[in-house]
Amino acid sequence: MTKVLLVDDEVGILVILDALLSDAGYRTVLAGNGKQALELFASEQPDAVVLDWMMPILDGPATARAIRELRPQIPIVMMSGADEQALQLHYRDYSAFVRKPFRAAQALEAIRRALGDPAA
Amino acid sequence: MPATGIDVDAFGARLRSGVPGLDVVLGGGFLSGAVYIVQGVPGTGKTILGHQVCFEHIRNGGRALYVTVLSENHARMMRNMRSLSFYDAGAVPQSLYYVSAFQTLEQDGLKGLTNLIRREIERLDASLLIFDGLTASDQMTSSNSKFKQFVHDLQSVSTVTDCSMLLLTSAEDSTVLPEQTMVEGVIELSRRVPASQSLRYVEVKKFRSSDYLDGRHALQITPAGVVVYPRIESIYGESSDEEPLAGQRVGTGVARLDELLHGGLPAATTTLLLGPSGSGKTTFGLHFLSQSSEQERGLHFGFYETPKRLLNKATSLGLDLAGLQKKGLLSVDWEPPTERVLDRLGNRLIDAVRAQSIKRLFVDGLDALRLAAPGPERLSRFVAALTNELRTLGCSSMFSLELPELFAPEIRVPLDGISIVAENLMLLRYVEYGGSLRRLLAILKVRDSAFDRNLHEFAISAGGIAIAPDFLQADALLSGIAHARRGETMQQRDANGGET
Repeated sequence: MTKVLLVDDEVGILVILDALLSDAGYRTVLAGNGKQALELFASEQPDAVVLDWMMPILDGPATARAIRELRPQIPIVMMSGADEQALQLHYRDYSAFVRKPFRAAQALEAIRRALGDPAA
Repeated sequence: MPATGIDVDAFGARLRSGVPGLDVVLGGGFLSGAVYIVQGVPGTGKTILGHQVCFEHIRNGGRALYVTVLSENHARMMRNMRSLSFYDAGAVPQSLYYVSAFQTLEQDGLKGLTNLIRREIERLDASLLIFDGLTASDQMTSSNSKFKQFVHDLQSVSTVTDCSMLLLTSAEDSTVLPEQTMVEGVIELSRRVPASQSLRYVEVKKFRSSDYLDGRHALQITPAGVVVYPRIESIYGESSDEEPLAGQRVGTGVARLDELLHGGLPAATTTLLLGPSGSGKTTFGLHFLSQSSEQERGLHFGFYETPKRLLNKATSLGLDLAGLQKKGLLSVDWEPPTERVLDRLGNRLIDAVRAQSIKRLFVDGLDALRLAAPGPERLSRFVAALTNELRTLGCSSMFSLELPELFAPEIRVPLDGISIVAENLMLLRYVEYGGSLRRLLAILKVRDSAFDRNLHEFAISAGGIAIAPDFLQADALLSGIAHARRGETMQQRDANGGET
C-alpha cells in the first residue's frame, strides 16, 4: 500500500487530507511542520510527500529540498493558497501543485497523478 | 499632511495602518514596536484591518507574519482578501507569511506558542506580527495568570525582536480585561443596527504615549478594505478666532439680492436657505454657484438631483454652470440617496473643499445629513464643526434646508441649533394670493451687517430669479395667506413697481 507523508501546520487541512487519502486506499503519516516531516521521512520511508508551502520552523520549499537530497525522484506535491506564479519565483522543483482551498476530488486527482497512480 | 489637516508626521516613529482615516484617529498611526489589542465581535472587520496593516507595512519595505490559532484557514482567508484592492498576491509568501499555531498551542501550551512566535519572527525577519486568536488562546488556557503571562511574554518578544504586534480578539467587553492593561493600546471595532442600516464603528479605548481622537468613529468595509471616517467634530471642533476675508463680500448671483444684502453675503460665512419643497432653494444655490471663477472655485454637493439634471436645470435658468464645469471652475459632487454615513459625507466634503480650494459651496440639502445622523444633537455638533472648518478655509457656504409645511402660520426649523450655526438666514415661502401661489423671500439674519428687512416677492423664469420690490405687510404674509392693502391687488401693486 502506497504511503504518503502529509505535512501542514493547519490541523483542519491535515484531517481532511488524511481522510481523503485513506478512503482512496493510501496509508498516511502526518506532520505539522517541515522539521517533524523530515524526522518522519527518515523513520517512515514514505512513497510520496504532500507539503504545505508556508509552515513554522521549516517551510515547504526547505523541507522539499532536504527530501530531494535524500531521495531525488520522490513525488512531491506542494500546496498553498498563494499564487503559484509568485511561489515559483522561490522554488519549482515539485511534481504537482494544489491550490488551496481545494475540492476533494481535485486534490486527490493531483496527488494521484504525481504518484503515477493508474486510477488518476 | 493628510486631507483631514492633522500633521501625522509631528509624532515619533509610527507604523502606518494603511486604513484611510485610522491614522488620523491614532494621531499618526500605531507606535512602531508596540503591542496593541484589536477587539470586536465577528464581522466587524478585524481580519481585513489586520491584512491592510500588513500590506501597508510591506509597501513600506517591512515583512509581516500572520499567525492564527482557531480562525478560518489560511487559504480561505487569502481567497477572501484577494478581492480587496490592497491585497498584493505577489507579496505572499516572501513578505507576508501565514503560520497556524493551533498544534503548538494544543501540544505545548502558551509557553510553546510564545516560543514559536519568537522563532518565526526571527526566522522570517518579520517586523510586524498579526496574531489572530487571542480569545482562543485564552479559552484554551486553564489559568488566567498563565494567559496574562503570555501577553506579557509577547511584549518581551516584541521588544527583543523590534516587532510591532496587533493581537486580534473577538472579545467585546466594556470592562477592562487584565490583558488590556498590559498592552500599549486597545482598539475596539463594533457594529450597531439602529434602524435597517448596519453601522460599524472604531473606538480607541486606550493608547499610551500618544494623542488620539476620542470617541466612536464610523467605519465601513469597502472594496478597498476598511475605511475610517473620523468624527468631524473631533477633528474640526476647535473654534478659531481668525476671521478670514473679514469685511469682504461675495455676490449671490442675483443682483437685486446683493442690494438687499447691502453688497452681498459676508465672505467665508454660512448661509442657511430655509423653505418648503419647490420654493426655489436649489435655484438660489445655482445662482450662487454661477459666480464661480478662477479666484472663487465652486462646488455643488447634493443628494437629490444627478449632476446631469442639475446642469440642465441651470441651463434652463440661463446659468452656464456646464461651461464653468468644463473650465474646471465648478465641481458637482453627487451623493446618491443610498445608505449614508454622516462622517463619510463630512470628510468627503471637507476633503473636496480643501483639495480643490473651493471658495463657493452649495450643499443641497441639510435634510440628507439629518437622515444620515444618528440623532439631532449629533447633527448640530457636526454642522457646527463643519461650518467652522469651512470658515477657516475661507469658503463661503450656502446650505438648503427644507421646511415641512408649504403654508403655516409659524416657521419651525426642523433641526434644533442649526439656525444658530448659520451666520446668515434666508427664508423662502409660498404665499397664496388671489388664487395663485407666489414666492416670497425674507432675509432674517446677516452677520454683522445691515440688510433689507422687508419681504420681497420673487419669480423664477428662463432668465433665472427676478426679485420684485417690497411686498406686503409681514404679519399677513408669514401666515402664508396674503392680503391686499386697502383694496390694492398684487397686480396693481406690481404695475406700480411696488411703490405704496
